[in-house]
Amino acid sequence: MEKELMESSAEPTKRPILITIVGIILVFFAVSFLIAGVWYINNPAPEGGMDSALVTLASIAGAGVLVLSAYGVWNLKDWARLLVMTILGLVGLIYGISITFDVFSQIFSGNEIVPLGDILLISVIGISKILLLGAIPIFMIWMLVKHSNYFIEPASQRAIIDKSMRQILIITTFSSILIVTLIFIFTFNESRESIADVGIIPMIFDTVWRPGSIIGASDVDFGMMPMILGSILSTLGAIIIGVPLSLGTAILMAEIAPKTVVGVIKPSIELLAGIPSVVYGLFGMVVFAPLIRQIFPVPGNSGFGLLNASLILAVMIIPTITSIAEDAIIAVPKSYKEGALALGSTHWQAISRVIVPAARSGIVAAIILGIGRALGETMALIMVIGNAIAMPKPLTDNPLTTFLTPARTLTANIAVEINYAAGTHRSALFFSGVLLFVMLLVVNSSARYLMRERLQS
Amino acid sequence: MSANITTVNRSIASLQNNNMSTRKIIQKIAFGIMWIFAALAIAMLLWIIIYVLINGAQVINLEFLTTRPRGGVSGEGGMSTTIPTTLYLVVSTLALAAPLGIGAAIYLVEYAGEVEKESRAARILIRVARTGIEILAGVPSIIFGLFGFTLFVSIMKLGFSLLSGGLAAACLILPVIIRTTEEALLSVPMSYREGSLALGANKWQTITSVILPAASPGIVTGIVLSVGRIIAETAIFWVTIGGSYRMPENLASAGRTMSLHVFMLATETRAFDKAMGTSAILIIVIVLLNLVINFISSRFEAKFMGKKV
Repeated sequence: MEKELMESSAEPTKRPILITIVGIILVFFAVSFLIAGVWYINNPAPEGGMDSALVTLASIAGAGVLVLSAYGVWNLKDWARLLVMTILGLVGLIYGISITFDVFSQIFSGNEIVPLGDILLISVIGISKILLLGAIPIFMIWMLVKHSNYFIEPASQRAIIDKSMRQILIITTFSSILIVTLIFIFTFNESRESIADVGIIPMIFDTVWRPGSIIGASDVDFGMMPMILGSILSTLGAIIIGVPLSLGTAILMAEIAPKTVVGVIKPSIELLAGIPSVVYGLFGMVVFAPLIRQIFPVPGNSGFGLLNASLILAVMIIPTITSIAEDAIIAVPKSYKEGALALGSTHWQAISRVIVPAARSGIVAAIILGIGRALGETMALIMVIGNAIAMPKPLTDNPLTTFLTPARTLTANIAVEINYAAGTHRSALFFSGVLLFVMLLVVNSSARYLMRERLQS
Repeated sequence: MSANITTVNRSIASLQNNNMSTRKIIQKIAFGIMWIFAALAIAMLLWIIIYVLINGAQVINLEFLTTRPRGGVSGEGGMSTTIPTTLYLVVSTLALAAPLGIGAAIYLVEYAGEVEKESRAARILIRVARTGIEILAGVPSIIFGLFGFTLFVSIMKLGFSLLSGGLAAACLILPVIIRTTEEALLSVPMSYREGSLALGANKWQTITSVILPAASPGIVTGIVLSVGRIIAETAIFWVTIGGSYRMPENLASAGRTMSLHVFMLATETRAFDKAMGTSAILIIVIVLLNLVINFISSRFEAKFMGKKV
C-alpha cells in the first residue's frame, strides 16, 4: 500500500532529462575508469609506488560502483542518489582541499619572495581550478537535490538507514570513550615504573630533581617539590593579581557599567581568551622582564622568574574568571536586588551584601577554573619563568623576593624534558603528569560541584 | 517635652542623612575601585595586543610572509612555511576529531536517553563516558603532548610528524567538539523533534532534516572554536611535530606551526621582532575567527529567539 502510494506520487512525471544526463556522466566516468584500469595492465605505474595489478583492480571496482549507481539513478532509486551524493561530496572535498594546499605551497614554499602579482595570479588560478573541476560534481549534486522527489525511497531503506546510522553512532561514541580511557590508562600505566623504583612519597616531597639520564650518572634524584612549588607559587601570584581585576570587571559588567561600555568590554574579553599563550609569553619576555629587572634592583634578579610568570598567568586567567563570574552574577534573580533596594540600601550595598553573596558559589567556581587554567599552562611559562630546577628561595632577607627567583613548573618540566627522557626518567615525567591530572581533577570537580550547587539553589 | 521630641527627631533625621550620604560616598568609592580594576584589566590586555600588533607590523611585509625561516641563532628569514603547516594541522585534526565528536554528541543527546532506560550496563557506560569527557576537557594540553609523544611518536613509530601532532591534537579538541555539539543539540526545542516524529519521520530522518539544520550554527561555532584552539596550541606540537621549518610534503613530514614558530624564535634565537610579527599575524587570525563566531552565534540567536515556543 505504502509503496503504491509513493510510486503513484512519482508517476505523473517522466524521468527528467537532467537525471538522464547525470546517469550518462556516471557511465562515462565508469568507462574511463575501465580504460584506465586496462591501460595500467600494459603500462606499469610510473612512480613504481603502486602495484599495477592493484590499480587495475581498484579502477575496475570503482567502475563497478559507478555502473551500479548509474543503474540506480536510471531507475530513480533513492539509495543510488545517496551513494552518488556521498561519493561526489567526498571527491569534491578532497579536490578542494588538495587544490587549496597546492595554492598555499606555491605561495608559501619560501624559496624566494613571491610578488603580489604572482600571489594574485596563483590564487585566481587556484579558484578557477576549484570552480572548473568542481563544476561537474556541484552540478550533479544540485540536480540530485533538486529532483529528489522523483526518487523512490522504500520504507525498508529508511529503516535500514535508521538502524545502520544508530550502529555507526554507537561506534563513534565508543571510540571517543576508548580514546578517553586510553589516555588515562596509558598515563597511569607509564608512571608505574617510577612509582616502583622511587616511590610516591619521595617523588612528591624530595627537593632535588636530577634526572641525569643524559650523562647516565648513577645518582639520580626525582624529587618534584621544586616544580610543585613553582606551579603553586606562580598560580598563587596569578590569583593574587588576577582575581581582584577580573572580579572588579565582572561586577562592573554585570551591575554597574552602562550597556554601551559592556558592549565594548565583553567581546574584547572574549577575544583575549583565544589569543595563543605564546603571544603573552613573548610579551613577558620582551616587556615584563626588563621592567621587573628595573623596578626591583635585587642582586640575582634577572626579570625571568615567578613574578613574571604570575603576571603573565594573571593576564591569561582574567578572561576565564571574568566571563564565568559575570554569568554567575547575572544569574542572581532580579528580585534579590529589588528587595535590597526596596529596604533602602544603596546600589553598592545591594551588590556587596546581597548579589555577590548570592553568586558566591559561582564566583568561587570561576576562580577555581582560573586556577585550573593557570596550573595547566605550559609554553608561556617556559618562556618567562627562567626554568631553574632548584627550590625557590628568597634572594634577600625579604621573603617576598622569592617571587623574583627563577623556577620551573610541573608542566614546563614535562615539556622541556620529555623529548630526551628514557626509562625511569620518562616514567617520572609521566608521574608528574598523573600528579597534574589529580590536581586538576580536584580543582575542576570542585568547580563543577559549586556550579551545580548554584543551579540547584 | 515636645521640644525634646523634635530635637530627637531632628537628630535621627540628621543621623539618617549623614548615614545616607556616607553610604553614597562609600558607594562612589567602591564603584570607583571597580572601574579602576576593570580599566586596569582591559588596559593590560589592550597594552599587550597593541604592543604586539605595532611591533609586529614593522616586520610584516611580503618577504616576511613568503620566505621561509632560515634557521640559525639570528632567526633570519620569514614565516612562510608555518602557514601551510598550521593549515595542514587544522585540517587533519578536524578530519580526525570532528566526525567522531559530532557523532558521539548526537548519540549522547539523541539516543543515550532511551538506551539508558533499557539496560543498567549502558547507563553506567554512558555515565563513565560523560565523566571521562568532562575530565578530559579540563586536562592541560601538555598531558596530551606527553601521551601523544610516547604513544604516537615513540611506540607507534610515526616519528615527529604532522600525523602524530594531528592525532594528539584531535584528543585535545574531541571534548571541545563533543561539548559544544551537545549544547547546540540540546538547545533545539523538544517540539521540533516531536513534530517531526509525529509526521511519521523516523529518528535518523528527524536528526538529519530537522535537528542538525537547526543546531548547525552551534556545531559550526564549536568547530571554529576548535580551529582557534589548534592554532593557539603549542605544547602538544612542541613535543610531537618536530619543529622543522621546511615545507611539509605530506602528513609524515615534520613541521612547525605559527605558535610554535613564535615559541622557537623567542627561546632559541634573538629574533624577537620576527616573533612579534608572527604573533601579530596570529592575533589577526584569532580576531577573524572571533568575528566568524560572533556572526554565526548572532544568527543562531535570531533564529531561536524568533521562533521559540
